[in-house]
Amino acid sequence: MSSSRSKLHEAPFVGPPWWVAGGWLALALLAQVTVLHYVAIRNVEPSFVIVAVVWYAVRVDVRRAAVYGLIAGLCEDALAPGTGAAWTISTTLVAIPASALSRGFFSDSIPIVSVVAAAATLLRNGAFWIVMALQGYPRGLGHIHLHETILQAVMNAAAMAVVMLLVRRFAPPPRL
Amino acid sequence: MQIVAQRNGTQSPTSVAGSTVAAVGETAVSAVGGGVRSAVTNVANLPKLSSDNARLRASNAALLRENANLHALADDYAARASVQPIVDLYAGAIEARVIGFPPENESRTITVDRGAQSGVRKDDAVLADGGAVGRVEAVGPFSSTVVLVSDYTSQIPAVVREGRWWGIARGNLSSVRFDYVSQDARLRPGEVVVTGEGRSFHAGVPIGTIVGVDRGVSSLYQSAQLKPAVDLDALDRVVIVPK
Repeated sequence: MSSSRSKLHEAPFVGPPWWVAGGWLALALLAQVTVLHYVAIRNVEPSFVIVAVVWYAVRVDVRRAAVYGLIAGLCEDALAPGTGAAWTISTTLVAIPASALSRGFFSDSIPIVSVVAAAATLLRNGAFWIVMALQGYPRGLGHIHLHETILQAVMNAAAMAVVMLLVRRFAPPPRL
Repeated sequence: MQIVAQRNGTQSPTSVAGSTVAAVGETAVSAVGGGVRSAVTNVANLPKLSSDNARLRASNAALLRENANLHALADDYAARASVQPIVDLYAGAIEARVIGFPPENESRTITVDRGAQSGVRKDDAVLADGGAVGRVEAVGPFSSTVVLVSDYTSQIPAVVREGRWWGIARGNLSSVRFDYVSQDARLRPGEVVVTGEGRSFHAGVPIGTIVGVDRGVSSLYQSAQLKPAVDLDALDRVVIVPK
């Protein structure tokens, strides 16, 4: 048997350094609990945290993406009252498929990554409210959350496109 | 022609033509001379104009900064003045400033900059100019989390100010509902619903105004939609009132 069939191919790590990713996550969290409230439309604000998680996840392997999503979710649960572990579970769950799927598309394509950000928002909020329901969240508010989730998915896709444009404009080209 | 014109007391055509040409020439020379004089003067004054310009620009920048500071002070004073009557009304009331919000707006809560060190306790009422804001849900050493009246976990015993019909004011994320009101009550849009004496609030604090009534034909109770008395999306300063 050839050893190449038994050993999984592992792509070289081309993602941002951990301190850069951590810095972006910290900035996203800070914006999330302070200024983003003032740009809310119909009580919905864009989630810079999911933008950061998707942005990182599509550039790294599944294990790193899962750890990043776990840390991001933990931070959100620590800052949000009454969510238990809902953000931790849902954000980790989203980071894993985002990273796994990234093997199939280009992580620097603005339209594709924006669509992934929107899909990740729908998936994450769905998982979040399922976990919340299991934690005792009352029924009957689903239609409100559905509308908010769809609006947030659109916002996050737009935010992702803007972020990628800014990164493309100001960041140095990646080393090959 | 000159002599005839002199005798008639009029100007000869020659004189008219000459004076017209001369006037045009004089005007042209005067204009050019004025322009040259002005240009020479400006060139001579250029260093002074430049320094004047720099001085005026600096002065303008300083005035703009001072104006911005004065506006900030005026806004701060207005915000303090708006909650001062509440501080004066309740003994032990603590003025606080809103410093944070939930990360994804998944709940209707705020974070204020006063905690256990300032004497804040769980379930204290939180008011603002106009009425009820919510109640303290969690207390840290230097900050507290306040659940707004529009949050789904908020349930406040409430009463219609005119008519004294009782019910429960419950948050539904987007607004406040006034539930479990007797079908005998004559609820009308525009009526004010206030807090009853309860775990957190003193009686009589406005919660909101009725904007719609749902009588529920087959229900034992009727309910109403309330417009919160306080603009919950634009909170800056609040007052924490111990019970």
